[in-house]
Amino acid sequence: MIEVAHLTKHYGGRAAVDDISFTVPRGRVTGFLGPNGAGKSTTLRILLGLDRPDAGTALIDGKPYRDLRYPLHTVGALLDGPGSVPERRAVDHLTWIAQSNRIPRRRVHEVLDLVGLGGVAKQQVKKFSLGMGQRLGLAGALLGDPEILVLDEPINGLDPEGIRWVRTFLRGFAARGRTVLLSSHLMTEMADTADEVVVIARGRIAAHGRLDQITAGHPSLEHVFFALTGDQGPEW
Amino acid sequence: MVSALLAAVRAELTKIFTLRSTWVVTGLILALHLLISVANLRLTTEAVANITPDEHIELFAGESRPARPALVDFMISMSFQMCLFLPTLAAVLAGQEFRAHQLGQSILAVPRRGVLIIAKTVAAAAYLLLVSLAIAGISTTFMYSAVQGWDPGVLTSAHALLGQSRFLTFAVLWALVGYALTLISRRTLIGIIATVALTAVTMTQVLAVSVPAVDALFPLSAGRNLLLNPEDSRLTAGRAHALVVLLLWPTFTTAVAGLLLNRRDVR
Repeated sequence: MIEVAHLTKHYGGRAAVDDISFTVPRGRVTGFLGPNGAGKSTTLRILLGLDRPDAGTALIDGKPYRDLRYPLHTVGALLDGPGSVPERRAVDHLTWIAQSNRIPRRRVHEVLDLVGLGGVAKQQVKKFSLGMGQRLGLAGALLGDPEILVLDEPINGLDPEGIRWVRTFLRGFAARGRTVLLSSHLMTEMADTADEVVVIARGRIAAHGRLDQITAGHPSLEHVFFALTGDQGPEW
Repeated sequence: MVSALLAAVRAELTKIFTLRSTWVVTGLILALHLLISVANLRLTTEAVANITPDEHIELFAGESRPARPALVDFMISMSFQMCLFLPTLAAVLAGQEFRAHQLGQSILAVPRRGVLIIAKTVAAAAYLLLVSLAIAGISTTFMYSAVQGWDPGVLTSAHALLGQSRFLTFAVLWALVGYALTLISRRTLIGIIATVALTAVTMTQVLAVSVPAVDALFPLSAGRNLLLNPEDSRLTAGRAHALVVLLLWPTFTTAVAGLLLNRRDVR
């Protein structure tokens, strides 16, 4: 389970997240929604120990991420930003990550096959398309066969087949009693994948609950999103 | 804790060995050393051939010295000059973390900053030791070519082995300064520039002439004080002082790098 409590983070004088609290239960896919700059990435980065909060806590199974000894066995993460040195081969990139957490080398090839990169394992990452890079990131998140997945825009750059694969995979992952926290801008995709939704706007939680409860009385998740975030929608 | 550290060291070694820039810079340094050694071989061989009956040699025109220590010192100084480039290699090793935001991936894999910085330093030191051994090996091979017809045993004398171990100590500690400065600045180029500036302080001899006590506090000056012969070079402190200075520089800069890694957000 993921527990975020009274989390606050300022950059300069501006609050990126302001006293937010929510939980992400086991066995569910929880969507994390918000416009650009709402505080989604900041929240995920604090949860994963990359940034320090000014106040509050973000815990994974009751512990800060920093306190997990071999964290990849517990949490698999795909964030916008952290990646591989372009000149390194995909298999080498995953190998060092696996070694750092005592994950067997055979698992590297298993996850590469799982995300459809088995045939290009020895290619340099700089030769990968955006979608292939995203698949490599997913492979890295799955290396430790974790109980929890934290994914920031995982379908960004994927082709329709890849999007369908991610959706099916995440549904199956949660069905096995595991935990998924999924950030995405794609409302239709989120509506098809998530069981629960956390909506964040201007650094504060605008809504949190089951998807059917959140969307009750609205034509779609997209309408809820614009209503909650105060965004007028695609007028431009 | 220890097993987590060992796993992290192994991962850091894999990062080093699977980085193409590592091999390119290492290859350039070793190729340059080979080139300089080849260029020196003929003159050294001639000097050895002209060793006097009382075993004096003239490696540099007009400077006659006892042959055995002179040849060992010359071999060590050949290695010493290549050390000027080791911090550049170290900066490349450290700088990979700041390419494509790899540091974020590293922190996700090893979130305990203390473990990560120790693992990185141990792995870098191990690789730099390997390169330093290669440099020492090249110097030794070429010196062997020059002295094989006279007394190859000079290369395995206590004086030679002590000199080689001093060289390896200096080479790794000096390069680790460049490594830590790159981690602090988060830029390969700034790490290189910082070590070039430290090199310039020693090479220009400005402080050595005007304020020797201050000069002796700089790492390359300490390396010179540790390795070179006071009869050949202007030294500014003894060997014990030099060793302390050489140990303090990487210790302090690595501690600062670790502290900053712990306090800063990973960007």
